Amino acid sequence: MVKEIAEKIKESISSVEPHITPYELRGYHLFIEATKSNIIEIANFFKRSGFYLADMCCVDYIDYLEIVYLFNNHSKVCRIKVALKVEPDKPSAPTISHIYNIAHWYEREIHEFFGVLFDGHSFMTYLFLHDQIDFYPLRKKQIPVPEEDKKLLNSFKPEEQEDGFFLNLGPQHPSTHGVLRVVVKMNGEYILEAIPVLGYLHRMHEKMAENRTYQQFYPNAARMDYLGALNFNLGYVTTVEKLCGIEVPERAQYIRTITCELNRISSHLLWLGAFLADLGGLTPFLYTFDDREQILDILEAVTGSRLTYSYFRFGGLFNDVDDDFVDGVKKFINRLRSRFGMYERLVTGNVIFINRVKDIGVMDYTYPIRYGCSGPVIRSLGIPFDIRKHEPYGVYDRIDFKVAQGTNGDNMDRYLVRIQEMEISLDIIEKALKDMPSGPINAEKLPKKLKPPKGDIYHTVESPRGELGVYIVSDESDIPYRMRWRVPSYSNLMTFPELARGTLIADAIATLGSYDLVIPEIDR
Amino acid sequence: MCSLDNIIQAVGKEVIRLILGLIGVLVVVVVNALVLTWVERKVSGHMQRRIGPKEVGPYGLIQPFADGLKLLAKELLTPANVDKPLYYLAPVIVFIPVLVSFIVIPFDGFLQVKDINVGILVILAFSSLSVLSILTAGWGSNNKYSLIGATRSVAQNIAYEIPLLLSLLPVIFMANSFSLRDIVEVQRQGWFVWRWQFFAFLIYFISATAETNRTPFDLPEAESELVAGFHTEYSGMRFALFFLAEYTNIFIASAIATTFFLGGYLGPVLPGIVWFFIKTYFLVFVIMWFRWTFPRVRFDQLLNFSWKILIPVAFANLIVTGGILKL
Repeated sequence: MVKEIAEKIKESISSVEPHITPYELRGYHLFIEATKSNIIEIANFFKRSGFYLADMCCVDYIDYLEIVYLFNNHSKVCRIKVALKVEPDKPSAPTISHIYNIAHWYEREIHEFFGVLFDGHSFMTYLFLHDQIDFYPLRKKQIPVPEEDKKLLNSFKPEEQEDGFFLNLGPQHPSTHGVLRVVVKMNGEYILEAIPVLGYLHRMHEKMAENRTYQQFYPNAARMDYLGALNFNLGYVTTVEKLCGIEVPERAQYIRTITCELNRISSHLLWLGAFLADLGGLTPFLYTFDDREQILDILEAVTGSRLTYSYFRFGGLFNDVDDDFVDGVKKFINRLRSRFGMYERLVTGNVIFINRVKDIGVMDYTYPIRYGCSGPVIRSLGIPFDIRKHEPYGVYDRIDFKVAQGTNGDNMDRYLVRIQEMEISLDIIEKALKDMPSGPINAEKLPKKLKPPKGDIYHTVESPRGELGVYIVSDESDIPYRMRWRVPSYSNLMTFPELARGTLIADAIATLGSYDLVIPEIDR
Repeated sequence: MCSLDNIIQAVGKEVIRLILGLIGVLVVVVVNALVLTWVERKVSGHMQRRIGPKEVGPYGLIQPFADGLKLLAKELLTPANVDKPLYYLAPVIVFIPVLVSFIVIPFDGFLQVKDINVGILVILAFSSLSVLSILTAGWGSNNKYSLIGATRSVAQNIAYEIPLLLSLLPVIFMANSFSLRDIVEVQRQGWFVWRWQFFAFLIYFISATAETNRTPFDLPEAESELVAGFHTEYSGMRFALFFLAEYTNIFIASAIATTFFLGGYLGPVLPGIVWFFIKTYFLVFVIMWFRWTFPRVRFDQLLNFSWKILIPVAFANLIVTGGILKL
């Protein structure tokens, strides 16, 4: 697959020289150096070949800025890094937002953080920041924002437009689950245009990472996605371990898998309650919380916390699990299995529920490629893309499990996929508990100060919401040179304006609920 | 000497009866609202695996008073740029139709403020007024959510008043009277819900749930879409008035259902008023049950359901009933 793609791209674009890189070390198979003149051609080529834009970020190497595009394929893993070098003063690059819709937001982000102007991009306004910040935060040297750039960044002012009926859904609104703001232009009950406005929970974790050692940054990961905190912990820990070449003992791997799956179930349970609350049914929320509480109790006994866990350590775990944990998990598995029947009867078969979610918010097959969305959102389309299967980490390669799938990609399928996923997670936990060996839980002879070798790495795990990627550039010091988080909700949310256009506001809110958004994760 | 008889003779028996009746109605309205807030909290609590209020008084029985006191003591916030006359007027006019409706409801054989021979028409005419207050509140609040909620409410009330009326008409045909007491008395031979009017009962009950803006038809205040709909901007006692009116409306809707279909105050052994309240509160409980079980329907589905299903079925039912009675 990799060699084929390398051949093909060499054939179709003559100015490109693809290099094969060690996947185990770097997390990507191919490396391509692009120029401003051929980046559009490259993006077009990848879109034609069915690749999606997994991530796009920028790294400031002082002498030059490097814009990194990471492409991947849904059917067979083939990660490709395309790097575009840009001059450091008055940087600019051609936009690819007309090819990949998700680049729209990635480019806005790079623009406000690094000052890179994307030619041809129509909407270069603030994404996360606000107008009081007068320098580019992620540049290594402090560079003030020029006047004309500031004007451009401030140009989104929906309240000044006279025509049309504008409604601000959020930042304080019962159904935005946190502080998402969606500016909605409406005609009666119908939505003409929906523009998500982000940044109300922006904490600049990526900048924080550049001021902390690898160990010190660790708790931040859980603060990004408080519902899938263990999965975010795992994403960060495994990336750093891979970068430093740390071997994790078998038992620790099993425990990591079990706790992460428990965390996934608790996240899905909360989503289930919140989704139904969005549809007006308030009671299921309490029922799912009742189930979720059991998981929190189990995890609290082991990790010491209930929401923002910091359980894993580089090379192992904070502490070992005991027999109480195993018994508790087994009891919980039986309990939840018996509850699925109840959810089925009360919710899945309810005629009002079916009418509210069936054939609403339907995605087609171009969405995953154009928007790079992942997780249950695209599995509902019938694409069996799951990092746990495609790029196994932990012990997922040793456990036999199936991937939940839908058919239509509507809200109903997104609901069904998540319910299935909970059942699959229970199976995984059960199998992992059976196979769990005894032994040490921490790697031996770990240096006090982690100083990874020079280079970059992109590593992904499957969070409850989809593909979570961590891109780290190391310069051999104990502080990361650049850390980039590719978060799943971000690209899932990006599909919202297109799905919401022309629908009733009630349907739009059902669609918004079906994404399972966690806003602090999007805003970082 | 000024004895009671003299006063009664001076003002007339009818007027005294009306004044006493109105006082009684006010008491029923307030007590009913207090009871229903407590019941709703307990019902929702038990349906959601909680226990509901329990701290204030035994079984939390004093909780409604605590709530009321809190609402009374709260500052009355008036947002800037509201349409002041309308904004202040809305919580008041939400209450008038509610009070008038009570006058004609027969709680027992003799316990009725006034038996008017067009009783049901009075209730229907006045209960349609409640949408006016919702519209006033939504328009006067200068809030987009309120406005959407108010417009929804108008469309919903127009759509559901028709099946409501159409489902009551067959019963009026069969009883041959508009008077609520006559309708109850006719049911001594059997409740109308079992005498061919089961569908009418269902249609009435669904429409009444929609008329009182309860889940699954609570679109004017759909909280996940419109925050709190038409009363988003109301606080303190003004909000409490809307709240009171909502519970009273539920009570009236259930009371009419009881009177028309479930034999009103008729029943063995126990006194009539007890039967009346048992039946009415059972229906109130069912409406609460709906709320804590169902998700909300969508706006177009709501209207389609009325225009495409309820109204044709109600019409068919009316024609069949009328035809059979004539034959």
